[in-house]
Amino acid sequence: MRKYVTVLMAGALAATMLGGCGSAGQSASGGEHMRLMVWAPSEDQSKDSGEWLQTCCEAFAEAHPEYDISFVYGVADEATAASQVAQDPSASADVFMYANDNITVLTDAKAVAKFGGIYEQQIMDTNSETVTDSLRQDGFLYGVPFTTNTWYMFYDKKVFSDEDIKSLDKMLEKGVVSFPFTNSWYLPAFYIANGCTLFEDGTVEEAGVDFAGDKAVEVTDYLIDLLDNPNFVVDADGSGMAGMRDGSINAMFTGSWDAASIREILGDDMGVAALPTYTLNGEEKQMMAYAGSKAIGVNATSDHMVASIQLAIYLGSAEAQKLHYDLRNVVPCNTELLADETISSDMLVVAQNDTFDRTSILQPFVSKMSNCWTPVENMGKGIRNKTVTHENAAEQTQAMNDAMNSDGIS
Amino acid sequence: MAAPKQRSVKRTKMINNTIVHVVLAILAVIWVFPIAWVVLTSFRAEKGSYVSTFLPQGYTLANYVKLFTDTTILNFPKMFGNTLFIAICSCILSTFYVLAVSYCLSRLRFKFRKPYMNMAMVLGLFPGFMSMVAVYFILKALGLSEGGLIRLALILCYSGGAGLGFQIAKGFFDTIPLAIDEAALIDGCTRWQIFQKITLPLSKPIIVYTVLTAFIGPWVDFIFAKVICRANADYYTVAIGLWRMLEKEYIDNWYTCFAAGAVLISIPIAILFMFLQRYYVDGMSSGAVKG
Repeated sequence: MRKYVTVLMAGALAATMLGGCGSAGQSASGGEHMRLMVWAPSEDQSKDSGEWLQTCCEAFAEAHPEYDISFVYGVADEATAASQVAQDPSASADVFMYANDNITVLTDAKAVAKFGGIYEQQIMDTNSETVTDSLRQDGFLYGVPFTTNTWYMFYDKKVFSDEDIKSLDKMLEKGVVSFPFTNSWYLPAFYIANGCTLFEDGTVEEAGVDFAGDKAVEVTDYLIDLLDNPNFVVDADGSGMAGMRDGSINAMFTGSWDAASIREILGDDMGVAALPTYTLNGEEKQMMAYAGSKAIGVNATSDHMVASIQLAIYLGSAEAQKLHYDLRNVVPCNTELLADETISSDMLVVAQNDTFDRTSILQPFVSKMSNCWTPVENMGKGIRNKTVTHENAAEQTQAMNDAMNSDGIS
Repeated sequence: MAAPKQRSVKRTKMINNTIVHVVLAILAVIWVFPIAWVVLTSFRAEKGSYVSTFLPQGYTLANYVKLFTDTTILNFPKMFGNTLFIAICSCILSTFYVLAVSYCLSRLRFKFRKPYMNMAMVLGLFPGFMSMVAVYFILKALGLSEGGLIRLALILCYSGGAGLGFQIAKGFFDTIPLAIDEAALIDGCTRWQIFQKITLPLSKPIIVYTVLTAFIGPWVDFIFAKVICRANADYYTVAIGLWRMLEKEYIDNWYTCFAAGAVLISIPIAILFMFLQRYYVDGMSSGAVKG
């Protein structure tokens, strides 16, 4: 028994030691030796989708013979990278990709480097101000944007004409529309349309949330009626996509991550467009999505700050964005690329940028924003479960507004 | 007079049995229902996470095939291998720790014995993940948080604290008469020989129980694996892999594969249980010392 256990333990140790070598790329040149850790989503590194990350990093190494870089790649998607880096900056990637709504997580942990001087200028020159604003906090720029991040409308061209898709009410007459009604990333679109605001323009934390008064109650009333419309279906737990698949739903609201699946279902009949308007008391109101961006950030504790910043800028450059678009359909945000003819004629790019420019607000990332998700979700669920009715709409809307403005659990 | 009375007893018994069995059948259906649904979903031919029918419209093995062949984004075979390796190593180590500690506390008398048992009980009152952040930083300081050493780090995490969970095994060892140990000592056995040649063969049921819990713990753990693996996708365990399949980018394509993965991870546990159950029953029915 003793021998047995010892042998097994030795075996276990030996096996872990043998598996010790990670995946490290080597560039052989005479420059300053450094080890750069880069984190990106697994699709950017997979062979099937063309190894975007590896290709770009090697191109960067070639363009910079003054460095002798060993790259270490790790997997962290944009949604979770920020919390991973904030958890322990010193053991995290030098260069990583994150979604801008996590920017306060990073700045609170002092984990992300500021871009300044010529680097800032370089980023400003190739991106629209709205995009760079989404990565600013207290005036400092915290990343290189590489794509915008928002949601819009996918529809079946056989059912809706180009004219129909401008108005939600017209669409509901012609076909079945599915909307993630109980998801608080989507539902505020109706409220913001009617003049409700979050932290004024999204940056003034003290201003708080204004989802109160007649303007909000009107929307709640509209939503209650909307749910009674037989052509309106709540999209939850993937039911929208399932409905698209079996043909029972003709339009749904989601983002670029579902584009490939929808194209597989609808083929050439797939239409993509910015958000429609809806009719409230005879007036057309433009629905407004939350929009953000995804960016390449640099770790504030990196040992090779200059090289990391240069790499981040390269990964967000027109060249890298073009490759990203070719390999993975990641919608670019570089202004030079958007002028490119093949890219500007892609309907997904057009819809995403149109949404970003015209039918969205910058998703606020002040820390009090974290109080705003649950109350809106509860409102959506309440309307769906019929606990919010025309009789108590005013009271329930006020309660939602109070909860959004409160820090405590109410 | 006797005959009708007997019949009525029989009838009452039958009615009782029927009621009991109907209730049990209903409960069994309710319990098995989610498992059956996961198994059905794993063979479902339609894609997506949401379906409007309970039974799949078509059946396929493609989900299992995809799980093992489509490895560029989520490398399931590798995660499965990682988890199996970690679980087996931690299972062996923690079983040894638990049994050794229990034996010492049951058979030996030393000054620290009582304080140790009290301390273990108090420590046992705290949930393990409370120490997670501290554990992470200790592992990092030791250089175990990167590369292949992550596996070693996880094995250490899962087995290191095993010695605190001695209570059940100790209780079992206490029931084995001390007289046997004394007889063995007189015959010239060392403590280790008594443990190995006498106590262990008499304690099959508790060994089986320890092995099962020691294996299932690391096999299904998510939280430690997530904190320690971080961005090192090569060392992900199945729990992290399955969780990733449900993220918004993957859920539509990977949902049925997720169900297939869930079925697959239950297989090693099921095999282990079926294989060890025999000893479990044996150990229970044929007690060690009779009379």
